[in-house]
Amino acid sequence: MTRRRLPEWFVLLLPAIIVIAAVVLIPLLFSLYSSFTPYKLTRPSTLWKWVGTYNYEKILSDAKFWAAFGRTVLFLTIVLNLELLLGLGIALMMNKVTWGQRTLRTILMFPMMFSPILVGFQFKFIFNDNIGLVNNVLQSMGFDAALPWLVDGKLAMFSIMFAEIWMSTSVFAILILAGLFAMPRDPLEAAKVDGCTPWQSFRHITLPFLMPFIYIAMTIRSLDVARAYDIVQIMTGGGPARRTELLWTLMSRTGYVDARMGLANAMGYVSIILSILFTIYFFRKLSAARAELGMAG
Amino acid sequence: MQKAKAIMGLMACSALVAAPESALAADWGDHSGVTIEAKLIGGQQYEGLYGRIAEWEAATGATVKIISKKSHFEIDKEIKSDMAAGTTNWCVGSNHSSFAPQYEGLYADLNDLVPADVVAEFVQGNIGASTVGGELLMLPRAQFDVSVLYYLKSNYEDADKAAAFKTEYGYDLAVPETWAQMKDQSIFFADPPNFYGTQYAGKDEAIVGRFYEMVVAEGGNYLDENKKPIFNSDAGQRALQWFVDLYDAKAVPAGTTSYVWDDLGQGFASGTVALNLDWPGWAGFFNDPESSKAAGNVGVAVQPMGSVTRTGWSGHHGFSVTNDCANKEAAASLVMFLTSEESQLAESAGGSLPTRSAVWEANVAAAKAGDDPFRAEALEAFAEGAKYAFAVPPIPEWGESTNIVFPELQAAIVGDKSVKEALDDAAEAVDELMRESGYY
Repeated sequence: MTRRRLPEWFVLLLPAIIVIAAVVLIPLLFSLYSSFTPYKLTRPSTLWKWVGTYNYEKILSDAKFWAAFGRTVLFLTIVLNLELLLGLGIALMMNKVTWGQRTLRTILMFPMMFSPILVGFQFKFIFNDNIGLVNNVLQSMGFDAALPWLVDGKLAMFSIMFAEIWMSTSVFAILILAGLFAMPRDPLEAAKVDGCTPWQSFRHITLPFLMPFIYIAMTIRSLDVARAYDIVQIMTGGGPARRTELLWTLMSRTGYVDARMGLANAMGYVSIILSILFTIYFFRKLSAARAELGMAG
Repeated sequence: MQKAKAIMGLMACSALVAAPESALAADWGDHSGVTIEAKLIGGQQYEGLYGRIAEWEAATGATVKIISKKSHFEIDKEIKSDMAAGTTNWCVGSNHSSFAPQYEGLYADLNDLVPADVVAEFVQGNIGASTVGGELLMLPRAQFDVSVLYYLKSNYEDADKAAAFKTEYGYDLAVPETWAQMKDQSIFFADPPNFYGTQYAGKDEAIVGRFYEMVVAEGGNYLDENKKPIFNSDAGQRALQWFVDLYDAKAVPAGTTSYVWDDLGQGFASGTVALNLDWPGWAGFFNDPESSKAAGNVGVAVQPMGSVTRTGWSGHHGFSVTNDCANKEAAASLVMFLTSEESQLAESAGGSLPTRSAVWEANVAAAKAGDDPFRAEALEAFAEGAKYAFAVPPIPEWGESTNIVFPELQAAIVGDKSVKEALDDAAEAVDELMRESGYY
């Protein structure tokens, strides 16, 4: 009688499979299951009560959830695009620097090193309407009013976007700078000989070459931007009157403060759609950009 | 259990007889070899009491192992995680009257572990607020909170201001007795963006607690006896209108909707706010020249009245014993020690308010006999304010309901909705929550 042996490839992969199952798959399946229950942290027995799609129906018919969803899409769109523009500008300027570039690159990364919580507190103070830095500067310049930075709907969104952009623009700058370093010099020199203007060289040579780097940065940041949770939570807590409520503040309040983990997990699964859509969009753009450079395959 | 009660009764008798003596002299029982694991609220103002635990350890032979020490909100999250994971076999936990009802089944009924005459020594209002569904879930420590009115005295010593106020409002300028007077004066004193009449907590449970006490002061209530929301009544609308009117008149800082306790305390200490309803713990801070520009100019008065009664939203800290604790008697002994007369005298010497009747009396008498008129004035206001104290509705859903209600209150304040619309929307959502929770 011969003993059945597991295929070698499977045995070799088994440790990785076990680790991935333990840290990714099982929590994922557990949270998916709990989104079909009324699971409350303070009532563990509720985990075993199946309520079908009740949580999902509740969310899909909840105007507050969709308002937060829409606000999150808006937040992501504006923040990612502004970070891209500013990061691109900074990278192009850095690329021109011939002396002290390493020091500058290190300084550029400082905002990324701050904890988002610290950044939140820093900008909460800067934008405080009564004792904040911005209003004090404005008042010392003769502007006799206290602008409600963290209260007015538009100003509050501006303030949290400002904090997020301040912290993360350097991610774009560093990745785009890496692209600029990898860029061959020949096409640019040929363009110069052919009489192209700097704008034409940038538009038709540099930018197409940088596009794959930009889309990779976009994909990473669109997933990573949820770190803005700390900033939003500390600066406005999603308020006032839900004016800055994003999916992340709504989910964390539902899950941890209200202890309604089942409902919060259902919100999480609906909001994953958002991440998937952004990721698919950027990957398609990335493939197209690579194809344009003849790198597709 | 009966034996345990008898031992506890004996212990309590011994404690009463030995009350003036040091804690070492009291009999906290022999718990040699027992280790009590505790999860306690951390923070500078709470640490002094924990320094006394060594005395209890020496007296009983037991050991206390503090396995977690965090802010109350962090402890709350940790306890909820413990409940979800079933890891609740630690013994003593810090608790709060606003949080206690959430932890269903976690804590033991102390009526079974603490002699009735010990319970009787506490302020009965505090015992009532520590009792949920007939079970005494915690013994109150000397960290009782009810808000009183802090004000800048100089505003009431200026004859020109007094004359101008009387011309405009038709009555004498004096420290406000009612919320209507406080609104008038706040609008009168305000000179934005340099000086504000008042301020209020504008988000989370903080604003809902304030709104709740104003509703009660106006003769209404938050929930009816069936736990159905009724805060959208006329009384509720009058209460919310007070917040809206002050905001519209710019008598409060525009950012007040994002303020919570620290922002309010720092605001009043900056000397740019005339009237401030705030907790007792701030008294020393407000009158300390090191921390406050208002020092020397601070008055303390009992909180104002609505059209029916005074406001009095209150809460207090306490200690609880878990149901899963292996040595409940020893844990109860520790809880009694931490809330004993000696412990409360020591803790309230730092400025916090006690929850034992005898300690209240001793503190007021000591302040009157002392040479700190501000402390005497503040304690008198606190003692008067405590008479009107009432706790939040003792239901697990209180916290969750406040998360539903506060954005609606903010919506009315910043003008996104009318007062009635905001309260009706909030009441509808809380009604759904109560239905889901099976109250009706």
